[in-house]
Amino acid sequence: MGHPYLILTSLFGMFGLDGWAAKNPHVVYMWLAMIILIFLGWLGGKSISMVPKKAQNVFEVLISGLEDFMVTITGDEGRKSFPLVLTIFIFVLFGNLMGLVPAFFPPTANINTTLALAFIAVAWSHVIGIQLHGVKYIKHFLGPIPAMIPLFLPIEIIGHTARVLSLTFRLFGNMAGHELVTIILLTLGGMFLAPLPVMALGTFVALVQALVFFLLSTMYIAGAIEEAH
Amino acid sequence: MKKETGSVFRELGYFASLGMSVALSIFLGLFLGLWLDKKFDTDPVLMFIGLALGIAAGFSNIVRAGKKGRKF
Repeated sequence: MGHPYLILTSLFGMFGLDGWAAKNPHVVYMWLAMIILIFLGWLGGKSISMVPKKAQNVFEVLISGLEDFMVTITGDEGRKSFPLVLTIFIFVLFGNLMGLVPAFFPPTANINTTLALAFIAVAWSHVIGIQLHGVKYIKHFLGPIPAMIPLFLPIEIIGHTARVLSLTFRLFGNMAGHELVTIILLTLGGMFLAPLPVMALGTFVALVQALVFFLLSTMYIAGAIEEAH
Repeated sequence: MKKETGSVFRELGYFASLGMSVALSIFLGLFLGLWLDKKFDTDPVLMFIGLALGIAAGFSNIVRAGKKGRKF
């Protein structure tokens, strides 16, 4: 079931690209989210002063609060990967909230976007593990004794691929489901504002899913840091 | 106090994601086996091996969570 009307698709139609934009709304709306987020970052960082004002205040509360939260989970070694995880959090939160605006498509309601995000987060946790522990980190995947490597290696690989999939499907399922329910209620009883309660729930779901994504990527990084002790 | 909240959230996140990762591990093993079966033309053998590996991976997740839970 497609979206009834997307504003960026008709905007791209002016340049004769509406067929492509209608087929890939998540790409188009991800560009929009990127533009807005880059602009917000520029706005927050353009006049950094010791005594924060307006925009800087908001960003400082958000960033330092989440950084403290992450450091309690991962320990001090996790501070290095905070920029990546925070970027993912803000992007996912913003992408989820875009679904609440009429004629907007949330980029996180497409499985390609969420798979890319989950893959980056999990792959980065392994990079951190190899950086901190070297060869010992890989040894952890091979089980206690060398004779059992053919048994343990596939099990560990399946277990770690399931992490990527669980992150992917949780976010994709929640956001696509929310979109679908909203569209169905809109077609059934849009005149009586039927999708309103679901959209109210959607604000909550958007925040919770972004937090869960942030928390789980942090957990995986924490697991990679304390591995092989 | 701050440390406490962090660890509560950490456990919450970890154990909440456990069920999903068990189910996905099993399905991942199963579909990996099915795909390899199609590739090598060995109809039911690799499917069962993949399924067994998937179940083992899922249960190793549970066992690891149990070990971790005892430490807290």
